[in-house]
Amino acid sequence: MESLLITQAINAVYEILILAVLVLGLAVVMGLLNVLNIAHGEFVMLGAYCAYLVQKAGFPYLAAVPAAAIACGAIGLVVERFLIRPLRYDPFETLLATWGLGLLLRKLVEFGFGRGFRSVDIPVSGSISVFGEAYPIYRIVLMVISAAVLVLLFVWYARAPTGARIRAMVGNPVLAEAVGIKTRQLARNTFAAGTAWAGVAGVMIAPLTPVEPFMGLTLIVNSFFAVVVGGMGTVTGLFAGAGIIGGLQSVLSAAVSPNTAYLAMLLLSILFLWQRPRGLFPRS
Amino acid sequence: MASFLVRNGLILAGLVLVPVFVGEFWAYQLGLYFLYALAAMGVGLIWGQAGILPLGQGMFVALAAYLAAYGLLGLGPSPLAYLIIPAACLAVALLGFVFAVTIFRGRLEQGPSFSLITLALTLAAFQIATTWSSVTGGFNGLRNIPGLPGLDGFLDLYYLIAVVLALAIATVDYLVRAPIGALWRAVADNERRLAFFGYDVAALKAVAFGVACGLAGLAGALYAPQQNLVTPDIAGFAFSGDLVIFAAAGGRAAVLGPVVGAIVVGVLSAELRGRFPWWEIAIALFFIVVVLRLPGGLMTLFAPLKRLRLARSPVPRPSQAPDKPRIATPLTVAFEEVCVRMGDVTILDGLSMQTGDEAVLCVIGPNGAGKTSALNVMTGALPKRGGRIVIDGVDVLRPQPAAVARSGVGRKFQTPSVFQKLTIDENLAIALWAGRWRGIDLLLPSLFGWTTPLLDEMRRRFEFMRSGAKPASDLSHGERQILELSMALLTEPRLLLLDEPCAGLSHEETAAVIDAIRWARHYLINLRIIIIEHDMELVRRLADRVVVLHQGRFLADGSVEEVQGNPDVRAVYVGGTR
Amino acid sequence: MTDVLFEIDRLSGGYGSGLVVRDVSIAVGRGKAVCLLGRNGVGKSTLVKLACGFLRPAGGTVRMAGREITGQQPSDNLSAGLTYCPQERVVFDDLTVAENLTLMRDSRRLDVFDPFFRVFPRFAERRRQHAGTLSGGEKKLLSFVRGLSEGGSMVVVDEPTEGVQFENVVRMADLIQSYKQTGMSFLVVEQNLTLVERIADHIVIMDHGEVVHSGDAANVARDKMIAYLTV
Repeated sequence: MESLLITQAINAVYEILILAVLVLGLAVVMGLLNVLNIAHGEFVMLGAYCAYLVQKAGFPYLAAVPAAAIACGAIGLVVERFLIRPLRYDPFETLLATWGLGLLLRKLVEFGFGRGFRSVDIPVSGSISVFGEAYPIYRIVLMVISAAVLVLLFVWYARAPTGARIRAMVGNPVLAEAVGIKTRQLARNTFAAGTAWAGVAGVMIAPLTPVEPFMGLTLIVNSFFAVVVGGMGTVTGLFAGAGIIGGLQSVLSAAVSPNTAYLAMLLLSILFLWQRPRGLFPRS
Repeated sequence: MASFLVRNGLILAGLVLVPVFVGEFWAYQLGLYFLYALAAMGVGLIWGQAGILPLGQGMFVALAAYLAAYGLLGLGPSPLAYLIIPAACLAVALLGFVFAVTIFRGRLEQGPSFSLITLALTLAAFQIATTWSSVTGGFNGLRNIPGLPGLDGFLDLYYLIAVVLALAIATVDYLVRAPIGALWRAVADNERRLAFFGYDVAALKAVAFGVACGLAGLAGALYAPQQNLVTPDIAGFAFSGDLVIFAAAGGRAAVLGPVVGAIVVGVLSAELRGRFPWWEIAIALFFIVVVLRLPGGLMTLFAPLKRLRLARSPVPRPSQAPDKPRIATPLTVAFEEVCVRMGDVTILDGLSMQTGDEAVLCVIGPNGAGKTSALNVMTGALPKRGGRIVIDGVDVLRPQPAAVARSGVGRKFQTPSVFQKLTIDENLAIALWAGRWRGIDLLLPSLFGWTTPLLDEMRRRFEFMRSGAKPASDLSHGERQILELSMALLTEPRLLLLDEPCAGLSHEETAAVIDAIRWARHYLINLRIIIIEHDMELVRRLADRVVVLHQGRFLADGSVEEVQGNPDVRAVYVGGTR
Repeated sequence: MTDVLFEIDRLSGGYGSGLVVRDVSIAVGRGKAVCLLGRNGVGKSTLVKLACGFLRPAGGTVRMAGREITGQQPSDNLSAGLTYCPQERVVFDDLTVAENLTLMRDSRRLDVFDPFFRVFPRFAERRRQHAGTLSGGEKKLLSFVRGLSEGGSMVVVDEPTEGVQFENVVRMADLIQSYKQTGMSFLVVEQNLTLVERIADHIVIMDHGEVVHSGDAANVARDKMIAYLTV
């Protein structure tokens, strides 16, 4: 019984970290740039397909990471130029436009690959014994990588000069222009970084989930609402959102049923959207 | 009235004649798209008029469909089955209204959170519909639903649907052109301004949403007998998204836009999806293009038709607006040690001041003195952290903009705040209706003819107001200032708050405004005015008393000369020792 | 004939369709300070935003060292040597004082700012504080120091002394005077005569969006300035 609890706990941590990684790109785009990119799940999907192609072509799995980052980043640059910037980064308009974009991407991938599921082989197979229970190594690898990346990224954002410039631009765009920050370019690059990161997240989860054109739709729900509940634009918000939504899903899925977990998550999101539309830890 | 009947009569005739051209089978198929059109019209109403994007209308269609299915399965061949349609429609409309009013109550300008709530609800609805098999039949849904009694063959049901659609179009057409339609568009344009006229913005939005849900309910109620099958698909967010696409593609702001969108896009999709795999890609691209460039959607192609006059257009007959209930005593305001903080910054630092007998009180002070903030905290636009605000002898704890407006406070904002997308006449009308409309007045087009002597006077003084059909966005900055001032005066307030009424005005415009304010002062006997201004010309000509604020506190008051001669006041303006 | 560094020529514009500023012309010579006076709401801040690229002018031109820069992006103007300190939201609240100062520099070292810290000692203590927690006057000081340290040839400052203590206003004036010696030019929007009297070479007074008086500082009487500034 105890080992089962420990496995549950590890699962919960895994779910939270993975959600944080998936949400990161969206948190950047929504939290910093106020762009409601509802096609975020599709960028993850594209990353997963990149992983599939890379593996099929015989390259080492790790090569999928730069491949997905470049592909999704490039698409992000195009989207920023032709969708986001003309709409002046308005939340409503970008929500609509990216809804159309998501539709487009899903249909394009369906057109190219068909509706069927593709499977991506786990790059690191096998399991090790954790507190007496067998736990897949790949998941542990992902947890370690996720945690490392998240920590590094946040230290970078808090300390590095570019991180400071992004924080400056987000807080005071007029003054940012005045001191010489090229806000247009910085915003564009930040958006592309968000989509590139979504692609990398797709590479990470591809071996664990059926890769098909509509996989983004299930992901976007959790991601979107994690950002909304946690709060937009802060590091604490990202962790809070991922923690609450991921944790809730994980615990309730195991304790009751995935169905209940999903409904509970939606109910919680609705309550937050109603009473605290800015989330728990919004940017002030 | 004539043009309304002609227009909608033609639509009804057209719909009824369709089977003659396309045959029975196609008529039956089209029936489904007419139902989509009904639901899409709801989206067009709430989105195109009131500016609120609904991402979950499918849920309301599904709810009505399931209700109707149960009704039909239960009542079978009885003629009572026909009652199911209005019953399901009303039930869903009421549900939508109550839901919306709860979410909107007390909140202005929520941004996209309402849209996201509807999205979450529709996702939940789909999940519930799929898993609650005992009630909904689960994934496979409810099958073998009987049709409506007395209707045989493909055509009968088609005619019913066609008539319902025509009636719905006529209803939406009417509402859009009624005063309530103008108010919905005002909500989309500038919610805050509308609230400051005393309108219950949450109720307005909720009514729009209720009507939209009623349309969705009609669609759902007829869906059950038309398809004889109700599955969870229609509750999902794919269908809800489709409805948004229909409304956008057709043109969300036009009455017929969503109808055109649903039929054209829906039919083409069904036909071409199989033949051309890239069809859906084309639709997605078209939708993106519409969002980026063509907010008018397909209806922009029909724009030239607008100029076609089928009959005489309704010109509202001028009539005297009903009087507002008059309260004889002037409105008094007192601030007692009021504190306001925003984060770390102290905006009002124990401000104490009050109105007296003067008709015009000018509030002056250097930047950051807290002048606008004082007005904001008094009308509920800023939260108060300490002290008391006493309006008319009553300690107001948490002022709400609409309530403050209804107690007789009119306000002109620092940056001119009018309804940009509405015409000048509509702007003035909205100000005029405030506090005067009763019962179902907002459904009567005759309200557009209301006028008062004050409005006539303003039109006489300011020429630009006579070209009433121009959109307010066409006005220059100065004209917009004057329009907003007139709108505030039209509400015949007891206390008028003017925040820099002459900012950015030329000398001539300033003189004209000063004159108008003086006239209003004499016409509206009980009127008290508080003006924030920097233009000393205006202060000298209008002020009975001057209050000087500095760093969020009261500094000095008195007549214009007294304040001018006060050394503390001078020092504050030109710097000096602190 | 003094060497004109920054020239605003019949500049007009506003927000949206309104003309808040009409046909304003101002010339700033090298190593000189021009003070722009006027009450609230006359269009001083709008003029300065039009000149520095934050608003698109409806008419007129702006020239820097002879080259036209009308309507250019502020970040490009910075490369041309134009520094701007706004009137509101003057610092990055979310960043520390040190980050505010070193944001656009290659190095994070603060020794370059030692001369400033010596002039404003209290300020030096607050290096690691979040700029949002500073008082209004302290934020203005931070913005002022940042502006001077950018090393531009033309510094445009909007109300640098708002909320600043008298002693520091005097020190700011001294700093401006010493920078003028090195050839730096200033356009200062101000209402505080303490500063104006110490640094102005030329005075421009605005009212209702237009220039109503323009002349050498020596020739503008204090009374006249007061008349235009006060009630």
